[in-house]
Amino acid sequence: MSFTIGRRAALMGAAALGVARPALAAGSVTAAIYPGAWEEAFREHVAPVLKRQHGIDLEMQGLFAVDQVAKFAASRGAPPFDCFVLDPGPRITAIERGQFERFDANRLANKAQLPDGMADEWGVATGAQVVGIAYNPKKLPRPTGWDDLLKDPWVSKLGLTGFGTTFGTVSLIELAKAFGGSETNVEPVFTELKKVLGKIAAVGAPAAMPGLFQQGQCDIMYTNTQTVTTLKDRGVDIEFVAPRTGAVSFITTLHIAKGSPAVDNAYKYIDAAISQPVQKALSEAPYFFVPVNKGVALNASLPMRSLDEMSRFVTHDWAKINPLRAGWIDRFNREMAK
Amino acid sequence: MNGSGVSGFARIGPALPLGLAYLAFFVAPLFMLLAVSFFADDRLTVVGLDNWRKFLFDAFHWKVVADTLLLGLKAVFATVLLGLPLALVWRGASPFWQRVLLFVAVMPLLTSVVVRTFAWIVILGREGVVNQLVLGLGLSPEPLRLLQTEFGLVVSLTQIEMPLLLLPLLSVMARFDPNLLDASASLGASPWRTLFRVVVPLVAPGLAAGALLVFASATTAFISQSVIGGGRLVYLPALVWQQAMINANWPFAAVVAIVLLVSVSAVIAVIAYAGRVAGGHAHGTAA
Repeated sequence: MSFTIGRRAALMGAAALGVARPALAAGSVTAAIYPGAWEEAFREHVAPVLKRQHGIDLEMQGLFAVDQVAKFAASRGAPPFDCFVLDPGPRITAIERGQFERFDANRLANKAQLPDGMADEWGVATGAQVVGIAYNPKKLPRPTGWDDLLKDPWVSKLGLTGFGTTFGTVSLIELAKAFGGSETNVEPVFTELKKVLGKIAAVGAPAAMPGLFQQGQCDIMYTNTQTVTTLKDRGVDIEFVAPRTGAVSFITTLHIAKGSPAVDNAYKYIDAAISQPVQKALSEAPYFFVPVNKGVALNASLPMRSLDEMSRFVTHDWAKINPLRAGWIDRFNREMAK
Repeated sequence: MNGSGVSGFARIGPALPLGLAYLAFFVAPLFMLLAVSFFADDRLTVVGLDNWRKFLFDAFHWKVVADTLLLGLKAVFATVLLGLPLALVWRGASPFWQRVLLFVAVMPLLTSVVVRTFAWIVILGREGVVNQLVLGLGLSPEPLRLLQTEFGLVVSLTQIEMPLLLLPLLSVMARFDPNLLDASASLGASPWRTLFRVVVPLVAPGLAAGALLVFASATTAFISQSVIGGGRLVYLPALVWQQAMINANWPFAAVVAIVLLVSVSAVIAVIAYAGRVAGGHAHGTAA
């Protein structure tokens, strides 16, 4: 069928004009990893542990979540990497498309160190994100809930981001809930934002938000604790607030790619990533990841004293969100556009 | 060198490596992009024009196209307005000052566009340099809104893209015969008349080359557009990113990318044509 070949060729090319994967060395594992902080953190802390304890070389491919799912889809039969790292939305997509091997957490030596709910049949958490409100306590009173964001005096100092990121999406869902919406109905956000659009200080790209906050362009925003701790570490006046309806949490997970020729090594890699020394190192400067290992002391700025408390945080069902999100993104563009 | 006796291969031979790389890494992916745009679903299984229809029959998308092209034109206008006088100063300067000016003009290229963009947050921000000056001088009771406006974006793009205008413009300026200015003056032309009837037509090819580089770069400046412009100014590059990287809707992203390519190329063709006409006119009169 020429059609199939054409389509595959198109996919292959579009997804990966990169170099073909080198022949697997005896002791190596290839892991997809988010470019930037994640890649640096894993190179610095996970790779040496894996080499020292098991003699396994960690090869990393810097890929965003959507790229991982697409690249895997494009290379049927020969997975381009052994492990995924994904946020909840793309994780669901990959499960639906059958891209993971079944995962057996019992093969992890560090399983007992994981808080509840951090592993399932598809993979295991390697870090958590806790999302809430961040504000400048020198310029604004402490907000108590999501609805405060759209009220004076906060609204005129508010920095917004859209549905483009996981933290942005869950925050806007919580904002919608504060005005009568739900996980699948964010309509109230658009209605309420329209009323105050002229007052809002900034509608920014997610990556620009820390910079905008640091420069005083906005003094309140929704974000994760990692951003708050990083800015605080640089001397910025910023405090994290868990809204009265609860902070939001979600986990970033590791998965083994379907058909991986290095499953044993993949388990060892994942085990190293969740081990106490690695998780401790990743929770400290300059990374400030929220750990998923009970043996790691939590940073003082986090809104919980133990990881088990996280099970009481607000979580979301991404199987329901995924099909709606593209529409929300499009709607946000139109509603915000000048 | 007389090329008539040389075989065809010898003439194109030296260009072959680049030409092949261009075919493999630019032309082929471009056709793949085109192919992807004709799929109807994001998993590339059904062929159809759905995504083209979705783009073309929606006024919002056309507004984004217009905003993107207008942004490019404004950046070109601003860079020419500031760059042309600078080039004239450069032409009249001593060799030492020419070197200094050239270095200053090219220096921004030595830093990453990301750094230059984030620097503009510091300059244009609510508590930035400009606003501190404005408040300090009592020109406004409260900080001006400069970031996240089209004005702020054009200002920063003017600085960010300026080297792209200056480099071709200065190279043309350098070959400019200064006697022509004296000739114009001795024939009774005012300085302004000399500028518009002699200087501008003579440097038109360089000006056009610079203008189309600035235009192409400003319309596709994803980082500056999203960081300085913010979420309320929607341009085509941001749409491509959203559709490809967040929604994983490659066919629609491909449609937007092709629209960007075609519309930017169309304007570039017009600028290049204008440059040729103006240049040809000058050579005709100067000859």
